[in-house]
Amino acid sequence: MMETRKASRISAFLPRSISKEVLNALSDVGVHDIFVAAARSLVIKAKKGISLLLPGRDLMLDPLDQVVFLVGDEMAHPLFNLVVEKGHLAIPGMGSVISEEIEIPSKDVLFNEKSITPFDANPIPVHPYEVKGICCIVQRGRGEGVARIALDTGTCVPAINFGTGTGVRDKMGLLRITIPAEKEIIHVFTSVDEVHGILAMMAEAGDLEQPGKGFIYSYPVKKALVNMRVVRGGQQHVASIEQVVAAIDHIKGGAEWRRRERGLQKQAGSQKKFLLGLIEINLLCDGGTGADLVKAAMAAGAGGSTIQSFRHVHPSDSPLGEISPVREHCSLIIPEDQVDTIVAALKEAGAFTDRCHGQIHLRRVPRALTYMGK
Amino acid sequence: MRQHDNARPGLPLTERKGVVSNKSDRIHVSIREALGLLIPYIKSRVLTQVRSIWLIILYLIFFQKVVLGIPISGAIVIACGIVLVVIGLTLFMEGLMLGLMPLGELVGVKLPQRSGLVTILGFALVLGFLATLAEPSIQVLQTAGKSVKPWEAPLLFLLLNLYAPYLVYAVGAGVGVAVALGMVRFYYSFSLKPFIYVLVGGLCAFTVYASCDSNLKHILGLAWDCGAVTTGPVTVPLVLALGIGVSRMFASSESGATGFGVVTLASLLPVLAVFILSMFLLEMAPKPMSEADFFKPENRAVAERLLGGKDRAVQYVVIHAGPEGRLAYFDGSYDTMIRYVEEVWKDETRRKTIFGDDIEGLKRWIALHGTLNQQLFIFGNHENLQTFLLKSRNSAEEFQAGHLLAHNAIAAIKAIALLTIPLFVVLFFILREKLPQPDEIFLGLFLCIAGLGLFGIGIEVGLNRLGTQIGSKLPSSFKSIQLPEQQESIPDFDPAMVQTSISSDGKKHSFFYVKKGDHYIETPYDPKRYDPKTGRYHYIPHKGPLFSYHGGFTGIGLVLFFAFVMGYGATLAEPALNALGLTVESLTAGVFKKSLLMQAVAVGVGAGISLGVAKIIWDIPLAWLLVPPYLLLLLLTHWSTEEFVNIGWDSAGVTTGPITVPLVLAMGLGISTQVGVVEGFGILAAASVCPILSVLIFGLYASKKRESAFKESMAVGPTGESQR
Repeated sequence: MMETRKASRISAFLPRSISKEVLNALSDVGVHDIFVAAARSLVIKAKKGISLLLPGRDLMLDPLDQVVFLVGDEMAHPLFNLVVEKGHLAIPGMGSVISEEIEIPSKDVLFNEKSITPFDANPIPVHPYEVKGICCIVQRGRGEGVARIALDTGTCVPAINFGTGTGVRDKMGLLRITIPAEKEIIHVFTSVDEVHGILAMMAEAGDLEQPGKGFIYSYPVKKALVNMRVVRGGQQHVASIEQVVAAIDHIKGGAEWRRRERGLQKQAGSQKKFLLGLIEINLLCDGGTGADLVKAAMAAGAGGSTIQSFRHVHPSDSPLGEISPVREHCSLIIPEDQVDTIVAALKEAGAFTDRCHGQIHLRRVPRALTYMGK
Repeated sequence: MRQHDNARPGLPLTERKGVVSNKSDRIHVSIREALGLLIPYIKSRVLTQVRSIWLIILYLIFFQKVVLGIPISGAIVIACGIVLVVIGLTLFMEGLMLGLMPLGELVGVKLPQRSGLVTILGFALVLGFLATLAEPSIQVLQTAGKSVKPWEAPLLFLLLNLYAPYLVYAVGAGVGVAVALGMVRFYYSFSLKPFIYVLVGGLCAFTVYASCDSNLKHILGLAWDCGAVTTGPVTVPLVLALGIGVSRMFASSESGATGFGVVTLASLLPVLAVFILSMFLLEMAPKPMSEADFFKPENRAVAERLLGGKDRAVQYVVIHAGPEGRLAYFDGSYDTMIRYVEEVWKDETRRKTIFGDDIEGLKRWIALHGTLNQQLFIFGNHENLQTFLLKSRNSAEEFQAGHLLAHNAIAAIKAIALLTIPLFVVLFFILREKLPQPDEIFLGLFLCIAGLGLFGIGIEVGLNRLGTQIGSKLPSSFKSIQLPEQQESIPDFDPAMVQTSISSDGKKHSFFYVKKGDHYIETPYDPKRYDPKTGRYHYIPHKGPLFSYHGGFTGIGLVLFFAFVMGYGATLAEPALNALGLTVESLTAGVFKKSLLMQAVAVGVGAGISLGVAKIIWDIPLAWLLVPPYLLLLLLTHWSTEEFVNIGWDSAGVTTGPITVPLVLAMGLGISTQVGVVEGFGILAAASVCPILSVLIFGLYASKKRESAFKESMAVGPTGESQR
């Protein structure tokens, strides 16, 4: 594989009403390049009184902003804390933020490390266990059915975006119109002890082992503060269940003490074939160019991709000003030995020219699940 | 717990199928597999359309047959028409998703990237103008305007007939300027609210002023309706896509649902344009007068100017004028008129100029509307008249299939071509981009054309007829109406059967009983209908009022309820609203579900149509119906967030599309003819105000709920302790 160097990627899911504050704070400190996409979160709304009789969903949807930016490893910690502070993320029910390790091809400069003025960050509460992220891609309309797993198991508050997927359907000629390309991307975070179980349960709920149903994978997270308030509404005890669980986590120093019903996990986790040791190529390019670039990558052997639309927020005097404010984020998950070929194909398709202003960073995907063929 | 892990990097390709492709360009799909994909796909699409339209269809049928108790004439033809509507809608919606929306999005994304503001504005102007010409909504209003009499509302008559092309151009200019203004708004990131305050305030002020002028007050309904019907199902996705693309490029830090607001402007500016046009034409129009006065020789010059020349004036008199008017036109002499009818009957070329190619037209017109003498003259005797009526009743209104197909196909091609050709021109010549996935886009455009064509035929043959029938029969719920298609000639009529009744003011009315089946129905006796020579009475049945006991209020209440449900049902089927709802759902990442938005809008439209019908029945001036809701709206707009203001005003602008408009107009026409009001416009305008109210109110409620949940969380505090 090509030479890479390490960096950090911070992703935050913030309620629309406070995302502006956080964006301003980040710009003030000197973060130049921020990407924002629309998302929604689901929580369970406790039904009270007469609404118990009424049919209908018990889910409440809230608009979120997904805020993503890249930083050097040294500034990751203070910036993470800054996001937590400005976004009030320590309050249960506000939102989630994670920091992950990524790799960038050595020659590229994707962010300006010098622009950030160093500062001291206030301490924040953390989870006393390792957090893993799960990302699941399903057909549009099925997202809530799968995301509910996170709510029903008390794992975390999931976040959902929209995107378009490419893959097998693009090889089918006009018949591809019968398979919708619109996808929902579900983000869930959980502890390292539970990630296999939750992954399997979500795969089961979404029937992901059938062809064309979707894709799910887990990825490592360096630092996280996750929104665990899955139920909104009447609290019937002196403390919410999340507070109790968090307190015991602290006492026990981890999450291994947690036990779920044996039956559920056993059913879900058995006999599933997983794909291991994959790499995710994240390509950011100008709006409208993603489809062509991804096509070139698929011709070079990539199985498929998911394209999401992001808004590029940058200060007006930024040197990155020619980059379009409308960006597309293309995610291609491939085996490690294919990375060089695919990146070369992208380069040949013009990803790094002024037409597309492409930027690449890589993320490790230790475990994934999808339809595996006959 | 063990899980079976598989697929390490060293495994053969087939095992890693999930993430690696076999690099071939095409997957071969067998016929069986292809059908297995196609059939569920087609089925699900058709079912979606059936689901959106079943409510309105079943409701109309139920209402006419069960509530009003009048059989539907030509039921089979209507049923075929409805099937065509479903098929047409399915094809059109699919074509919209596959071809039109992606094309619009492509231009919407690339145009702001490559061109400056001036190019964008020019394109916007052209697109807006062509959109008005392409979509047939204005023509539909003109058809509705046929019932307007030149002596009751001269200015309105002018606008709808002689100056009709100017009306279309004015509305087109209004829409073009609106789209361009919308782009300017995105470029400078202006809020929509000031535009709304200024425009709505100005229009309301003019409305109040116009209600005081005898001529201007009649064009108010038309002007507001013109604004309501612009932006049909082809324009909306294109304008939305352009708006979203431009606003994404230029809007600085707003997130979520930007790009809306253009449709709002495109619904308000045409109203202004029509107002301006009417001010220009005001001097040309005489003051309203009675029918007899209008046709008197001293007003002949004015009459001929309004009607467009001597020939057209004669044609108008023969076809549309009432008995006194015709008498007045023929210089007060009955014989002159009969002689004239005889001449026309004998002279084929003259007949053609008046009745067009429709040979049976004169016959049918005399049979339904003529006096007894005229009927005897044309048909010779009653038997012939009877046979003719039976024949025409059974075939409903005759239509020629070829003609129907042709003009709907042309309308469909015109609509799509006029809007997509500028897009292609911009794409290939200005942006120099090639089409991504051209096969999908062309398939989509083809489906759009086919869908629109079939949809148009279905509407004409099915929905319109149903709507007209119900519309004309609807007033039977609160007053007595005649049913001319069911007229018969009763033989062996004995005048001794006639009885006399007396009303409270001392006037005597004669009536007799007619036995129909098992019922004996009282019928008013008109001596003019009795021909002593043949002993026959020419009987036209009447119906209603259904609810005569409560002074007609229950009947009127029924009509208003009918109007509400019809508006609600028709809105749920509208394709443009569907497209908007889908876009809103995509842009807000699913927070505002399409179904929720559509329900809110549908309830609003239903309420609005009820209000509009009330306006016709009780002849409430339009100003009262529009100005108070719009003023309330200004207040609500001030309180609501920018996002909701944009979405709410836009969703009201896209309603009143190809399904609602014909139904509403047919109903308005029917009621206004029976109730005897000057014009039946204004319902659509009312139907456009109320959805904004419902969406904004819903938005305020949703925001309050979210805010209180947010505050509740914040109050709990970071460590889970309440902060005091």
